[in-house]
Amino acid sequence: MTDATMVSAADTVAPPRGRPRWLSVLIHAALFIASLIMLYPLLWMLAGSVKNQNEIFGTASLIPSHFDFSSYVRGWMGAQVSFGKFFWNSFVIAVLSVIGNVISCSLAAYAFARLKFRGRNFWFALMLGTLMLPYHVTLIPQYILFLKLGWVKTFLPLIVPKFLAVDAFFIFLMVQFFRGIPRELDEAAMMDGCSAWRIYWKIMLPLSLPVLATAAIFSFLWTWDDFFGPLIYLSDINTYTVQLGLRSFVDSTGSSDWSGLFAMSSLSLVPVFLIFLFFQRLLIDGIATAGLKR
Amino acid sequence: MTYRLDRRQVLAGSAAALAFGAFGIGRAAAATHMRFLWWGSKERADRTFKAIKAYQKSHSGITIEGESFGWDNYWTRLATQTAGGNSPDLIQMDYRYIFEYARRGVLLDFTPYMGKSLDIKDFGQQNIDSGKVDGKIYGVSLGVNSSAVMVNLTAWKEAGMEPPGDDANWDDFAELCAKFTKQTKRRDYYGTADESGLEPAFEGWLRQRGKALYKDDGSLAFDAADVAAWFDYWAKLRKMKACVPPEMQALDQLTVETGMISQNKASISFGHSNQFVAYQAINKDKLGMIPYPVPAKDGKPGQYLKPAMQMSVSASSKNKDAAVAFVNYLVEDPEGTKLLGVERGVPASEKVRKELAPSLDALGKEMADFIQKLTPKVGPLPPPPPNGAGENQFLLQTVSQQVAFGKMTSQEGGKSYVEKAAANIKRG
Amino acid sequence: MGNRHDSAAQAGRIALPDVPAATAPRKAPGALSRNAPGYLFLLPWFIGFFGLTLGPALISLYLSFTDYNLLQAPNMVGLDNYVRIFTADDKFISSMKVTLFYVVCSVPLKLAFALGVALLLNRGIKGLPVYRAIFYLPSLLGSSVAIAVLWRQLFDSDGVVNTLLGHFGIQGPSWISNPNYSLYTLIVLAVWQFGSPMIIFLAGLRQIPTDMYEAASLDGASKARKFFKITLPLLTPVIFFNAVVQTIDAFKAFTPAYVISSGTGGPIDSTLFYTLYLYQEGFGYFRMGYASALAWILVIIIALFTAFSFLSARYWVHYDD
Repeated sequence: MTDATMVSAADTVAPPRGRPRWLSVLIHAALFIASLIMLYPLLWMLAGSVKNQNEIFGTASLIPSHFDFSSYVRGWMGAQVSFGKFFWNSFVIAVLSVIGNVISCSLAAYAFARLKFRGRNFWFALMLGTLMLPYHVTLIPQYILFLKLGWVKTFLPLIVPKFLAVDAFFIFLMVQFFRGIPRELDEAAMMDGCSAWRIYWKIMLPLSLPVLATAAIFSFLWTWDDFFGPLIYLSDINTYTVQLGLRSFVDSTGSSDWSGLFAMSSLSLVPVFLIFLFFQRLLIDGIATAGLKR
Repeated sequence: MTYRLDRRQVLAGSAAALAFGAFGIGRAAAATHMRFLWWGSKERADRTFKAIKAYQKSHSGITIEGESFGWDNYWTRLATQTAGGNSPDLIQMDYRYIFEYARRGVLLDFTPYMGKSLDIKDFGQQNIDSGKVDGKIYGVSLGVNSSAVMVNLTAWKEAGMEPPGDDANWDDFAELCAKFTKQTKRRDYYGTADESGLEPAFEGWLRQRGKALYKDDGSLAFDAADVAAWFDYWAKLRKMKACVPPEMQALDQLTVETGMISQNKASISFGHSNQFVAYQAINKDKLGMIPYPVPAKDGKPGQYLKPAMQMSVSASSKNKDAAVAFVNYLVEDPEGTKLLGVERGVPASEKVRKELAPSLDALGKEMADFIQKLTPKVGPLPPPPPNGAGENQFLLQTVSQQVAFGKMTSQEGGKSYVEKAAANIKRG
Repeated sequence: MGNRHDSAAQAGRIALPDVPAATAPRKAPGALSRNAPGYLFLLPWFIGFFGLTLGPALISLYLSFTDYNLLQAPNMVGLDNYVRIFTADDKFISSMKVTLFYVVCSVPLKLAFALGVALLLNRGIKGLPVYRAIFYLPSLLGSSVAIAVLWRQLFDSDGVVNTLLGHFGIQGPSWISNPNYSLYTLIVLAVWQFGSPMIIFLAGLRQIPTDMYEAASLDGASKARKFFKITLPLLTPVIFFNAVVQTIDAFKAFTPAYVISSGTGGPIDSTLFYTLYLYQEGFGYFRMGYASALAWILVIIIALFTAFSFLSARYWVHYDD
């Protein structure tokens, strides 16, 4: 019985014996250069956000001649609505999506992993099937549905589906995890007369914090980065998310304020970066779990 | 394109709104709330919001919520809202689309209001008729404009040259621009943008040859040879380096902000006279406006005066009377028209033109003068474009790019454009 | 009772939350109440599945046979949409070409980098977590508008790429507004995000028991032999997973193409991803019937690809069971 944990991507591996020094140095050098190249675009954008307009292009240097933070202020107020509003909107949608996903997907995952009911395998297979279904094919009728419901122009089309477990990826992830929790716990509880709900609430969930956290983080990230959904459902600039706000900023300032644009772009990446910084472990373990069959 | 609302305006606006809210609690039942949708740049948005605010001030109980979009997604938004039964009360309308929307029953017929809450008799019959579909009036002209060529006067002065004059013909134009490119000291800077993909420019050129974009019955009024000749002209300019190379032109998204003149890649861009204000707002250099190059010798006038844009009201609006009254305010009221200025075009109302004349700033005067000067030289208003015409402007851009990048010859481009344009019209 | 709890706790080595015992004995459950909990827990999913997935999919299939344009009621037009797509629509052909080219170029490259770097990192490098994090970061940020905007400026005629090329005396074109090169900028963007499959490769490599390598070394196997006879075969499940997931993702790409081309898919449709084309038809021109047909064609293509992958997997993927 595997531990109720996720596949852990180990952090260290002993170097093979007898590897010549120069090879190690070479590998390190290669990795170091590769890292620089990978990060260069991001660093350039950050640098550009504090450079003067005319310093940005024409040089590849990352060092500005002097630091000019006014671009952040300009960019913040640059669209018709301040970026604070955009950040708030994105935040609201993301948090609600997280809550919706965690609740609805764990409910479904619990049913698939633990409960016996007729047709379970059939529905499970269907659920897996939806993972493969490209969103294009549900896009238009969903749009029409929301249009008729009068939800277009609000956040509802972006949030309500999350409460209906449409993100099959999370169900899948959680099912994998639940399967790793010893069944004896359930059975013991059932013998004590606990209902399925109690087991779910009092046993499964508390033990599943790692996978719930992972689902929460991925859910937040994907929602934060979502552009297409807000693009078709949000038309009032006051409801724009950060992604839409950025696009609108690009459209309205054209080529006149690159540093402002870079400043706001950098800011839009901050939440993602923070999550990456603090929850790296969970992210990496989560992906690894998804990729490897138990 | 979107626009900026400066902090003061937002604060003032919200304070006003709050005050109204506080006062209005008792009058909640009588409050009228309307929505107004338009496209345009920041300049237009600023002015429009000012006009709305002023109107709300003098008409307590009425609030108008304004929404502005860029030209490229305006029609999408409007269609979505209309389809969702959520049509704005006040709609800014364009000549290209008014027929489609009117015939689909989306717009209110203004005829019953004429002479009552809508008093636009001094527009002159032509301007009133420009908003008619099937004999009924669906649009009220917000201003008159015409095609124009924006010139960066500062750059030409720097290069020690006189910019093309009002009577330059197409060949002179090409020569001058080529010379400019050679003489200018600015890096990667060319005489003119490559306007082979700009439909109004193509239309002007066609009309000078006695042709047009569309016939009365909606079919194409030009043939592949015309298109090929048009592409050939610009190929010549590319070769002479009079205009920007295709890679640069590909960055132009047909908006004021992305035009070559605004991106500092060319000293000349083709546009419309009422965009002059917006162009000047973006460009630090001094800009001037000249008409299109004239035809060789016995050519006809290529330009015409068109309703730059029109005000329409939704047929399903719950506040028809209030909406019509506001429309009247925008086009006839001294305060409303003053705030809107000539940014949407030179006002169709003669009375308003006279009223505005003294208060126009230099830019406004230049626009008004431009229209004035042009008026004797223009041809008649062309028949309204058929359904599907909207797509053809983007099609021309694509095909012109194919020719510019060498994927097709001008002849092939001409054939391709005619075929696809006709197909678009048929599709509707 | 207490014993059972203890043994379970020991088996799982997990802190047991308090589970209060019910006092009344339970009666034998009937069929309905036996299935009820399962169905109840699945209720949100059922609503989502039927209302937002299956339902819309079937409706879109229906719409694909109509001329629905959102403003008027749909009329049946039979196979007209499909016929047009296959015979008279060159934007369909362009977008198919562009998307296929993008998929065929970016996915193998991405996987190659992912595997290559994973192999490097797996050799016991000090600071593995740091490198791994650095390579992974772009994947996290990659699909955001900010990155697409950044990318557009990197490859602009005055951008960093051209500046660097200039140091070598090469006059670079304006990558993003030149139809011959614009797609490559998007491919580079995709490959830049190899971190995500790399993590999976790393985890997969981790799972290969080291004693296999030791045994092979004892037999005198060279490094290359070890790689091709041990590593690669045992990695095939992971390669398979990554290949399928990355390919499907590549077919669904939208944001970078939209932002970099300002929604036009240009210049000259050189960045017209299939999703972008679908968006233009459905939300630009409101030809929703037509867009639905386009959507179904994509579904079929992806389904065929997936089926083909799973069938072929039998021949090259080694599962250890």
